[in-house]
Amino acid sequence: MKVILSALLLLISLISYSQQCNLTLHGHVEDPDSREKLSGATVFIIELNKELITDAQGNFEFKNICAGSYTIRISHADCKTIEEKITLTKNRHIDIDMPHEKNTLAEVTVSSIKGTQNTGSKKELSGRELEKTKGQSLAEALSRLNGVTMLQTGSTVSKPVIHGLHGSRILTINNGVRQEGQQWGNEHAPEIDPFIAGKLEVIKGVDELKYGSDAIGAVILVEPKALLNSPGYRAEINAGYFTNNRQWVTSGMYEAQPAKLHEFSFRLQGTYKRGANAKTPDYRLNNTGSEEKNFSITAGWKKHSFSTELFYSFFDTKLGIFEGSHIGNITDLLNAINSNKPDPVFTGENTYHIGRPYQAAQHHLIKSKSSLQKGKNKFGLQLSMQTNYRQEFDIVRNPANRKAQLNLAIATFSEEINWEHKSNSHLTHLVAFSAMQQDNKYAGRYFIPAYRAYYYGGYYIGKYNKNKWELQGGVRYDNKNMYTNRILSNGQAFDKYGFNFSTFATSVNAAYNIFEGLKTNINFSIATRAPQPNELLSNGIHHGAATYEVGSIDLKPERSFNVNWGANWSSKNKLFSAELNIYNNRINHFIYQQPKPNEPVLTVAGAFPLIVYQQNNARLQGIDITTKWSPVKNFDWQLSYSMLRAKNIDSSDWLIRMPADRIGNIFSYNFADGKNLAASYISAEYNYVLKQTRTPDETFVKQDYKAAPDAYGLVNIDAGTTFQLHRLPVTFSVGVRNLLNATYRDYLNSMRYFADETGRNFQIRIKIPIQTKK
Amino acid sequence: MKKILLYISIATLILFLNSCKKFNEGETNDEELITTLKLNFTPVGSSNTQTFVFEDIDGAGGNPPSIDTISLRVGTTYNVSIELWNNAAIPREAITPEVEDENTAHRLYYTPSAGSNITVSNLNNDVNGIALGTTSTWVAGAASSGNINITLRHYPGTPPDKQASDPVNSPKSSTDMTATFNYVIN
Repeated sequence: MKVILSALLLLISLISYSQQCNLTLHGHVEDPDSREKLSGATVFIIELNKELITDAQGNFEFKNICAGSYTIRISHADCKTIEEKITLTKNRHIDIDMPHEKNTLAEVTVSSIKGTQNTGSKKELSGRELEKTKGQSLAEALSRLNGVTMLQTGSTVSKPVIHGLHGSRILTINNGVRQEGQQWGNEHAPEIDPFIAGKLEVIKGVDELKYGSDAIGAVILVEPKALLNSPGYRAEINAGYFTNNRQWVTSGMYEAQPAKLHEFSFRLQGTYKRGANAKTPDYRLNNTGSEEKNFSITAGWKKHSFSTELFYSFFDTKLGIFEGSHIGNITDLLNAINSNKPDPVFTGENTYHIGRPYQAAQHHLIKSKSSLQKGKNKFGLQLSMQTNYRQEFDIVRNPANRKAQLNLAIATFSEEINWEHKSNSHLTHLVAFSAMQQDNKYAGRYFIPAYRAYYYGGYYIGKYNKNKWELQGGVRYDNKNMYTNRILSNGQAFDKYGFNFSTFATSVNAAYNIFEGLKTNINFSIATRAPQPNELLSNGIHHGAATYEVGSIDLKPERSFNVNWGANWSSKNKLFSAELNIYNNRINHFIYQQPKPNEPVLTVAGAFPLIVYQQNNARLQGIDITTKWSPVKNFDWQLSYSMLRAKNIDSSDWLIRMPADRIGNIFSYNFADGKNLAASYISAEYNYVLKQTRTPDETFVKQDYKAAPDAYGLVNIDAGTTFQLHRLPVTFSVGVRNLLNATYRDYLNSMRYFADETGRNFQIRIKIPIQTKK
Repeated sequence: MKKILLYISIATLILFLNSCKKFNEGETNDEELITTLKLNFTPVGSSNTQTFVFEDIDGAGGNPPSIDTISLRVGTTYNVSIELWNNAAIPREAITPEVEDENTAHRLYYTPSAGSNITVSNLNNDVNGIALGTTSTWVAGAASSGNINITLRHYPGTPPDKQASDPVNSPKSSTDMTATFNYVIN
């Protein structure tokens, strides 16, 4: 710890040492195919927060820049945004090729205000904010976005919650493919390596229709960076260490485009991560280690108007589950809950070893995506295959038992063809047909049945941009046939069901630029989600929650009516900006778990509370506000507030497990670049989560085992800088989570019944980019 | 270039071959399920064994368990042995040997209802000399009726932290099985 503190001090003193900056960076942007000069392209140096628009000849020039390495983001209304890394040691000229994708339907970007996220339909995590999350899980990373929280099972398993909704109400799109893993339970985290992502986005509105009619909550896009589009190579090594659980992570990436084969480009990427048991301020939690091994391969071919890409990724994880949360029966559960601290038998081991209970999951994804541009038309074809294999190892009587108690294997094939047509410069259309086939097998303990499911569907999206207006609308229809098969343990009895669900979705979106700097967006969406196999057919003990869960085959699809209004304003001098997002999500036939405390299920191990899947009408309303203010040069303060009110309308009661209101503060200071150091910053965060007081009424029926935990505040610090090491622009950063080592519990973590959240966690990260000299 | 492509394809192929895990589909018996608790009562100095059974053949949920009423003679001392079975498994599975093998990680508790005329003592011990309780001695007193709870607790961890003073609801252990019998002494 002393070492880290001294490193931090050293870093700050290094950063403070700065010198004159008088270099010039000029360049030229053009389309590599047509050699058309691109005027009106925005060139943005991320680290310096400087922006220019290219002139009629496609030229730009930045003056008085310090030596250092920078990320330049070039965007143009008709093109895919690209990022390039450059190193500046003397005056320099760069030529930028912008692949021109005239007909691409861009997602609505409510605002072009830099430094803030977009309101209404899109929230994005990229650049430095994304780098601060390297080494964390996907859900932890996303929870930096206002309105996004986490549903956790201990420190190893986390799922994103967007505006109070999670699980199958959120679609996760991994590099263009809808993630189909085992997302049934609250303790099944998405099987995705966040290191794949160049940016993470949460979108709402019309673009959700591209991925399904069932996005009741939102869609998460995990978007890799585009492949290299000029000859050369680039590599990047990321490494990090976290003191709390002695977790270390390394990730490597190599990408290249051969000089002799401009059409071809590829990338290899891999990550290894391993953590020991996590520590709360007072005790270390046994069996909370984790291990993750991931890699991916991308290969692309692009010639004239044809492009194709092949992507393969593999994700492999092993996650320990805190032993003190694995419960024999309700009496044991109440005993464990009533003692405010886990028994010493469950704490104190500092080891990387993972014992029972634990989960292991592997996910393979192969995707092929091709597109052909013909005049005003673009034709696309995407094929994908995913297999997901999950094993759960419960606590067993016999330590010689090496078997998993639950095996699940799910294979998913999906196909989509689409046609995009640009009628004129204002209007584009997109039509697509898609199909998906899924096969689920299981062995061991019963959780969900084996099933085969066949989906087909289609959608239309139209987008119109003119003057100050951006209008979008779309419809989607899906049909799902599912045949389930439960093979009971005596090997003879079968339990078979057939289901057919038709689901429909539509969305309209209007954005209007009231004046330069102020933009507003309104969206209305209807989405329909068919019940999942676990909601229909689960039947059995859930050890993590000490409940006996029973599904219902009579469930109907749930349907949401969501109105979302956003506004985004930034002052003329760009020193102040604000965004506001208000939503009302009415969900008919909302599927939820209702405890039946008066009907305990008796087992030989004792009584278990019964929980059944039911439907009711629900309403989720909320507000997200973010403001950013730069009162003095180089310093800014970001303040965010997120509020949600979630009610069961039929019983006029609050919904269980909904995130409490929260306030976030980020104070950042960006140092002027020096001779040796560039892009240096220090930031302090203070996040305050209120106590959830809106929990289901307990007057007549017991709904929860323990009252919601108290409010808490956490202080986090991050600092980073980039320096030249053998001419490589190496980025070094340090940080600390929960600096004050606060003891707290979170309402959305099921471990709150048993143990505190993890305590202070120092982290060190290094990023070494290597690239061809330009 | 071609070499790189070749390496990538070979690497991918190897991964695929490695990653195709297989398992036999279908539900297996719940390995942890105990359906049946049998109590064998042998009066001291006799060889007439009486058996009383708690059985919940369909496991959790479903039909309620069938529970015999334990019927004992006034003023008699019995040697009692316990048998645990999973009768839902085919073939049926004996659990008692497993419990005896893992004797330092298990413990049976016998809790008669308040004011009972049954006393349970002389529980057999694990290898560390701490009660295990697969065999015990029951003394039936004056004529009366009531109930008695029998609970099997399981200690996690290696080595398990099992102490003689641990109560039945110790946070260190968890319940594998619990059964409450009604009894009559006449």
